[in-house]
Amino acid sequence: MVEWLESVLAGAVQMGTVYLLASLGEIYAERSGILNLGLEGIMIMGAALSFLFTIAYGHLTALILVVIVGMLLSLILAVMAVSLRLNQVVVGLALTLFGIGMSGFLTHPTIRGSVLLHLNPDLPETALIIQEAPKLPEIPIPGLADIPLIGPVLFKHNILVYLALILSFAMWFILFKTRIGLSLRSVGENPAMADALGVNVALVRYLATLVGGALGALAGAYLFIGFQPFWVEGMTAGRGFIALALVILATWNPLRAILGSLLFGGVEVIQFRLQLIGLGAQAPQFVLMLPYIVTIVALSLLSFESVKKRIGVPAALGIPYSREEV
Amino acid sequence: MSESPLVLMKDIVKRFPGVLANDHVTFELRRGEVHALLGENGAGKTTLMNILYGLYKPDSGEIYVKGRKANIRSPRDAIRLGIGMVHQHFRLIPTHTVTENIILGLKEAGFVINYKKMNEEIKRLAESYGWKINPDARMWQLSAGEKQQVEILKALYRKAEILILDEPTSVLTPQETRALFRAVRRMAEEGKGVIFITHKLEEVMEVSDRVTVMRKGRVVVTKNTRDTNPQELANYMVGRPVIFEIEKKELQPGDPVAVIKDLYAMSDKGVLALKGVNLEVRRNEILGLAGVTGNGQVELVEVITGLRKAVKGRVIIDGKDVTNRSPREIMELGVAYIPPETLRWGVVPSLRVVDNLFLKAYRYPPFSKSAVIDWKKVYEKAEELIREFEIITPSPFVKTRTLSGGNIQRLILARELSGIIGGGVPKLIVAAYPTKGLDVGATEFVLKTLVKYRDMGSGVLLVSEDLEEILRVSDRVAVIFDGKIMGVFKSSEADIEEIGLLMAGVKEKAKAG
Amino acid sequence: MALLPIRFERRLTYTRTAAILTTILAILLAFGAVAILFIILGLDVAAAFQTILNVFITPRLFFQAVVRGVPITLAALGLAIAFRMNFWNIGAEGQIYMGAFASTGIVLAHIYYGFLPEVLVLPTMFLTAFLAGGAWCLLPAVLKAKLNVNEILTTLMMNFIAILWVAYLIYGPWRDPEGFGFPLSIPFPDYAKFLFIAGNQAYTGFTITLIVAALIYLLFRYGKLGFELTVIGQSLDAARYAGINIAKAIVLGAFLSGGLAGIGGLSILSGIIGRLRPDLSPGYGYTAIIVSFLAALNPWLIVPAGIFFGGLFTAGEALQATLKIPGAAVEMFQSIIFIFIIFGEFLKRYRIVVGGGGSGG
Repeated sequence: MVEWLESVLAGAVQMGTVYLLASLGEIYAERSGILNLGLEGIMIMGAALSFLFTIAYGHLTALILVVIVGMLLSLILAVMAVSLRLNQVVVGLALTLFGIGMSGFLTHPTIRGSVLLHLNPDLPETALIIQEAPKLPEIPIPGLADIPLIGPVLFKHNILVYLALILSFAMWFILFKTRIGLSLRSVGENPAMADALGVNVALVRYLATLVGGALGALAGAYLFIGFQPFWVEGMTAGRGFIALALVILATWNPLRAILGSLLFGGVEVIQFRLQLIGLGAQAPQFVLMLPYIVTIVALSLLSFESVKKRIGVPAALGIPYSREEV
Repeated sequence: MSESPLVLMKDIVKRFPGVLANDHVTFELRRGEVHALLGENGAGKTTLMNILYGLYKPDSGEIYVKGRKANIRSPRDAIRLGIGMVHQHFRLIPTHTVTENIILGLKEAGFVINYKKMNEEIKRLAESYGWKINPDARMWQLSAGEKQQVEILKALYRKAEILILDEPTSVLTPQETRALFRAVRRMAEEGKGVIFITHKLEEVMEVSDRVTVMRKGRVVVTKNTRDTNPQELANYMVGRPVIFEIEKKELQPGDPVAVIKDLYAMSDKGVLALKGVNLEVRRNEILGLAGVTGNGQVELVEVITGLRKAVKGRVIIDGKDVTNRSPREIMELGVAYIPPETLRWGVVPSLRVVDNLFLKAYRYPPFSKSAVIDWKKVYEKAEELIREFEIITPSPFVKTRTLSGGNIQRLILARELSGIIGGGVPKLIVAAYPTKGLDVGATEFVLKTLVKYRDMGSGVLLVSEDLEEILRVSDRVAVIFDGKIMGVFKSSEADIEEIGLLMAGVKEKAKAG
Repeated sequence: MALLPIRFERRLTYTRTAAILTTILAILLAFGAVAILFIILGLDVAAAFQTILNVFITPRLFFQAVVRGVPITLAALGLAIAFRMNFWNIGAEGQIYMGAFASTGIVLAHIYYGFLPEVLVLPTMFLTAFLAGGAWCLLPAVLKAKLNVNEILTTLMMNFIAILWVAYLIYGPWRDPEGFGFPLSIPFPDYAKFLFIAGNQAYTGFTITLIVAALIYLLFRYGKLGFELTVIGQSLDAARYAGINIAKAIVLGAFLSGGLAGIGGLSILSGIIGRLRPDLSPGYGYTAIIVSFLAALNPWLIVPAGIFFGGLFTAGEALQATLKIPGAAVEMFQSIIFIFIIFGEFLKRYRIVVGGGGSGG
């Protein structure tokens, strides 16, 4: 029983890290007023590129490059939504479609070889056709990892899991205790005011969007090399959208995002488990529907005035800001 | 010895699409003076100051601050030069604390903010101007007057020597206004320069040392305040003598068309905004509702027109109880509504003029049958309305946003009053701030139209923050304060001083008087 | 803005010619971008574009483009209604699946219980597909109208639920017992499929899209509902003030929007694949969003735009078969067109002024 619980909880942490990384970035973007519907596209690109880059260059370089690509993709959103004041929903959706199409294109067996050779001409023939890449190594924390239950759940993971947890606390601290965080929160609440006080609204929104893109791509990369390093086209399967919902559940708070991602990660893990022991095997679809149904219910609850009052949705979310059109 | 002025703006030109907002404007602010910038809405005062504050870039012209040429590209530059601005609409974040609002954007706050130290400093600064402020309070918990103090502290905390106040009194009670003036004078004594944007003559006379009058984007004159008088300033402002009289038939008010009984309603923020309002509007009369903005006026008109739910109490129109009925049912009873914030509520700027003229009437015969709109009839009627209400537009088919404010207000009058909705003269006209932001000509047109319909039999509820305007056209005046009616007077017998006190919520003295 | 050395001035109006030119420019730029990518990867650009062009000049392929364009066009026409009232229906994909589900239900009910005359089967399928697609859009609409729940996320989530629902049926109770275990329903009988006119199904589908386009044109040109939806889309506050029953209009508009996507789902089964499959749509519902934007929500332009994208899907298959270019290339190409169209939107709205307009400094 303890073993089962241990593996489910550890699984929830591992699965939840996908959601945590993605939603942390999105929290910053939304706090600055940018709704990034392109998250799913950025994540799938992150996953696909971590596959290609890892084969070509190994883990470390792959992670760095993936983060850069994530930032470049979100830069498209930033330019179009912040500087050109275009509709964020449409731009984000376009990014998602782009990510899905591009990732499928680049990793397709007929193209992948040529892409990989462009990345690294010295790759052996076999590297061009494999569907998987080496998984990120686990780094057990000495001492702590051996504690029963807690050890395997918290201290026996790869670097990205730890990073996500550390980032949650760091990003919470920056958001609520520092000058940069104050600027960030203000820009999403009232950009005109922040501008008048000398905060560079465009710069803050660009940076927040880039952070969102970097972490979104990292979430995708984690899903592949950190969680399930076997390439399946479209493997993010809507998790970027679930992360968007999670941001709302977490009420734009990095610490609450930890709980939310554990919950969603846990649901997914338990569903796998139930299938393994035969429960729900007849109709796994209904269990798979759960995150989406939960999200719709949560969104509905959040709309009630009494709930909303305590939360404080970033007031300028989704609204472009232009100084001379106030 | 001639010390260089704090600010010199030379030959400033600023164009917006379709408008020349500043036309070679030159303006000077000296050390230790309160300089009033006077002009009607749309005269270009705020644009000029937004340029000084770096919010807009001038198309041409030069700015000197303390004798040195300044290139102010953003508020950041302005703040560095010691310029602070308090906008008409507060730029505060309701969910943030006083301290967070004040220190936003300040490098001095450090990377990790030391809130304890900041709170102390802010408290001390506020006390030096006679203000008591809790630095940990959230903005939404503060009154309008306190919010303004936070705004000013925001500038002073940044060591501003040049302070721009944009229509600072529009949200204040007379008593709060006086307190503000004391603080402003103290700042001038400390050697700061204060620019005081206003369109109220009496304020210019009371608080300023010098006054610059602007009209249609140009500076008309700059004078020492003691060398001028209100009548002269008014003439500079409008460019022609103000017509203070509006012709009005002597009429005996008829039966009540609207009776409001013990009405309670919530504001958008979920606090009680109406606390037992009782009012009566009768046929053939204009009832003016005077009060400082934000005392329940908007909530009241919204409850009457069905846009807001009443918590308690009743609204009776023409003998029928319409409390909490839909806007459409109330409209169909013959209630015309001229809403506040025209561009938000009154028209859809991106639609054509004709669409906006028929924003309500499209659903009634003869303009539509069953599910289908008869555009031919609509177009014919639109042409007629454009002529009748003197709406200046190239055609009925241009986008409404290309019209001027005055013409948009004429469009709304045409839609609401011409009888295309219910047929005939409206029974009740609810006009909320109908002249706000309009020039003199358009203001006169609106007021004359209201009087005309009053003569034809409508009952009119006129909400305005301009007491003078209310007294000019109303038969009776009601004063609202904090969601309650403080008193109702015949306009001919009204005492401005007493109304002012009621507007400020001072009831005792009024009773005595 | 501060980060770019240029300034944007809002245009008050723009001409129709300018709008058309920017749209064409957007498509050309997208072709250019794809060409560059192909060249980098060493793919034969000329052959690829030739393959795409062939779709539109070879009658047999063009008919296929039309057939594939039908569900896209129908869904896009529905989206035009939703987008005009500023209801961000991202859920056409799910609504397509629900339409397909409902029409299959009628076919199966007829085959197993036979309660309908054959001639009425297809009309009943139309009706139920419309109702099912509409119903699928109803929940987000009601939540939006009553509780102001953001419809972007709810319609999106509903997609996944619909797709999983169809997957459940097709892997479970609706699987063809004689289908060797493949996730397929039994094939539709001929009376449940679009008519073959002159040897193909393109004519039936095309006629349906034209009728629907005309109806939507009339709705917005003459209908009270169309006027109300337009006002709601442009200003919710003004609509409230004008006494429009916003909740009713939004629910009605959303129902029509989803219903048309539902018919789109029917047209996939009855017009293209002839049975229910879990992967019945390769993202037609998302493509429809691009199409409605490309056509600037104009129903008449949506029809050719839909066929154009139907042609791209057709070309995708040809590219894969002859040049070994993966099908995802088409999705990528579509999204690049989309990005350039959105950018074109900016050119229509703003005039770019380089240098910041010569201030005093």
